[in-house]
Amino acid sequence: MTQKRAPRELRAVGLVCSLAFAFPGLYLIWRNFTSGADPFGLLFASETLQPFWRTVRLAILVSISAASLGTSLAWLTTRTDLPLRRLWRVVLPIPLVFPTFIGAAAFIRTLNPGGLANDLLTSVGVDRTPELRGLFGAWLVLTLFCYPYVYLPVAARLRQLPGSLEQSARILGDTVAQTFRRIVLRQISSSLTAGTLLVFLYTISDFGAVQLMRYDTLTRAIESNYLARPPMAFALSLILLVFAGAVVAAERSVSRRLPEVKVHRAQQTASYALGHWRTPAMLLVGGTFAFSIVAPSVALIDWAADGLLRNQRGGRPLTIDSSKVFEAATNTLSSSILTGFVALIAVVPIAFLAGRYRDRIGHFSHSVVIATFAVPGILIALSLRFWTLRSGFFGDLLYDTLALLIFAYVVRFAALAMGTALVAVKTVPEHLHDAAATLGADRWRRFRTVDLPLMRPGLLAASGLVVLSTMKELPISLIIAPIGFPTLTTRIFGSFEDAFVAEAGIMALVLVCASGFLSWVLVLRRADHL
Amino acid sequence: MFRRLLPIFIAFGMFGTACGSSNQLQIDGSAAEINPDACVAGTNREVTIYSGRTENLIEPVLEAFACATGISVQVRWGSSTQLALLIDEEGDRSPADIFLSRSPGPVGFLESKGLLGTINSDILNLVSNENRSTEGRWVGFSGRKRVLVYNIDLVSEAELPTSVFDLTEKKWRSKVAIPATNGSFVDWFTVFRDQYGTDIATKWLDDMVDNEARYYPNNRSIVEATGRGEIEMGLVNHYYNYQEVAVAGDDHRAKNHNLGDNDIGSLLIITAATVLDSSKNPDEANELLAYLLTAPVQSYFTNRTIPARGGHSTKCRVAITHRS
Repeated sequence: MTQKRAPRELRAVGLVCSLAFAFPGLYLIWRNFTSGADPFGLLFASETLQPFWRTVRLAILVSISAASLGTSLAWLTTRTDLPLRRLWRVVLPIPLVFPTFIGAAAFIRTLNPGGLANDLLTSVGVDRTPELRGLFGAWLVLTLFCYPYVYLPVAARLRQLPGSLEQSARILGDTVAQTFRRIVLRQISSSLTAGTLLVFLYTISDFGAVQLMRYDTLTRAIESNYLARPPMAFALSLILLVFAGAVVAAERSVSRRLPEVKVHRAQQTASYALGHWRTPAMLLVGGTFAFSIVAPSVALIDWAADGLLRNQRGGRPLTIDSSKVFEAATNTLSSSILTGFVALIAVVPIAFLAGRYRDRIGHFSHSVVIATFAVPGILIALSLRFWTLRSGFFGDLLYDTLALLIFAYVVRFAALAMGTALVAVKTVPEHLHDAAATLGADRWRRFRTVDLPLMRPGLLAASGLVVLSTMKELPISLIIAPIGFPTLTTRIFGSFEDAFVAEAGIMALVLVCASGFLSWVLVLRRADHL
Repeated sequence: MFRRLLPIFIAFGMFGTACGSSNQLQIDGSAAEINPDACVAGTNREVTIYSGRTENLIEPVLEAFACATGISVQVRWGSSTQLALLIDEEGDRSPADIFLSRSPGPVGFLESKGLLGTINSDILNLVSNENRSTEGRWVGFSGRKRVLVYNIDLVSEAELPTSVFDLTEKKWRSKVAIPATNGSFVDWFTVFRDQYGTDIATKWLDDMVDNEARYYPNNRSIVEATGRGEIEMGLVNHYYNYQEVAVAGDDHRAKNHNLGDNDIGSLLIITAATVLDSSKNPDEANELLAYLLTAPVQSYFTNRTIPARGGHSTKCRVAITHRS
């Protein structure tokens, strides 16, 4: 393969992008210097190491289980004759949209002792349900809410892979399991590692679930020190970010050795008859659906229904009305869809640099974008406020605008689109490009007529991941959104904090329905087929 | 495909902006109960609030204020801790005039950073001494009482303790929930330490831990877990249980129990209002603070929390304390 040098304009764009994404990291370093923090001293203190190892242990466990679950679901819904495949493809991405602070609470409400499921079980004679807490509880909730990070890219990849190799393997006598291990696993490996990396980074930056499950990780140590000992919070955050950077670098050195698979469109993919495996497969998919979507939704419906009934019976009236819900819902949808769009514009140049040209700036930008995913949202919000205050006229212009909010969201979530975009770039066959160039198409025309059509479904799936995650984002929405721009998540948070559970339940259900609608549009657009 | 989706983006974008502006010279619901009079004409005066107290509770009050004075009110709703960090980051360029905090911690943080201005003395004089700062940096405008919430099926009313010190007895082993890292619990503990000395307070906490007190992340989750019977009882703020009862009625199996009036366990934690040192509209800010302490607003809070202008039975001192 001939190694081409990246066009200079593209490298410039990549450099600008990586600088924009480096804002939070630079801010953290600055704050560590100015607040007299001592990250090196903290590194080996037991008050850091213990939560740190708990964080690592949790992240490894969640990564393993989310990777297996996400891959199994992806394979079952794309490669088999599983009943209701289309329905599953619409609903399986939905857990992404639960903000963990209410998702985990709803989960506990349904499944813990005395909860709604317990009522049901008692009526059939089972008395006590186990209590979810600690490592096990955090692991379970995070697995159930994070598997879509693996499921979506892997399903997209599976849909696109040619079936010829698999058919050959089967003809030569391999079992389905052998074929999967020797052929499919190798073909999906780049999507799988990219997705698993996101799960790992999300887990180390999560606060909502570990808080509710009472599992002491690094983020809890950071959270409890913000006001009491700010330098400590900044130092711990820096440790978290450096650790994330190391994990990203490790993933890159692994994924560099993974095979690349070029594909054409419109090839027949392989499909397997489940036979007597149909029931266990349905149990896995249905069970995932029941635990990750139905269980939290049941608690939300319970809260919402009680509130609506109370309102009807003339009890204490609800503190929200339909116009407030509508306002928040339109704000959520408009800002998250815009974010999905802008995130693509930010990551595609980087994906081209890293994927096609193997450019150093591209690899660097790629790592910066992905490591930023481990920075807690509040720090991204504060860092943007820090930079806008120090950039004079430009900052004043941006302050309190939707543009700044979208930018912040993109910095927070572009990592989600990065991996899938990179895979999409790498799958465009080189020879098509060369053929187009021979026929006299300039670079821009080749991008429009060769790259874009081949990458478009993949890019749409990537931006879908960003959109669903943006819909649940909290700290940036609270701190950076223009004043008077409520989103569903900010209103859910406000209601939930002071125990207005009915209001929180109603708006969380609206959030779930909106995400279901968006996911349905993506499936309809065959975005999950890549 | 993008081309086909583009009109949708634009349509959503326009919705967003169309909903952004609203004429607030007409009010209804709770806001109209607070201010039944016709609204005065709008002025070009304005005030900006960062509020850590929830929109569900405060918004009717602010609507009533805007209606009564013609001052337009801008609010950034959020979590008290995060808003305090934001104000610290913004420094003297903060657009905020007022900061309303859910708990004393963030106020102490801002005070220690020298970011709080002085409130007019006629407003400070509206509340009793324990509900305002001696330097005039903050004034309490509503309160949250600490109570013991208990499951009525698992614990009988007669055997309930009258002091937090009783909770270290064997009888309550592994039956009490505490929200150890929660803001209002930390604030409560700080006052406890202040009044009884660090030794007694720390010993109580150690005894609680030895007695297998169970740790929960916040008040809401304790009330919820107590209602389900996951745990017998827990130390919380009073109004979470009201909310659960309001939603679930008799199905919610927990009640609030007031520990003794003079017990530290019945402390009233106030929610404080402050004017920022950097405020560009200090007159309007003070006007709003005064409005929070008027009779109609205080009686509105009574139905939902506890007002700060007297009328409550707890005698405990309420203090905004610096955290070191």
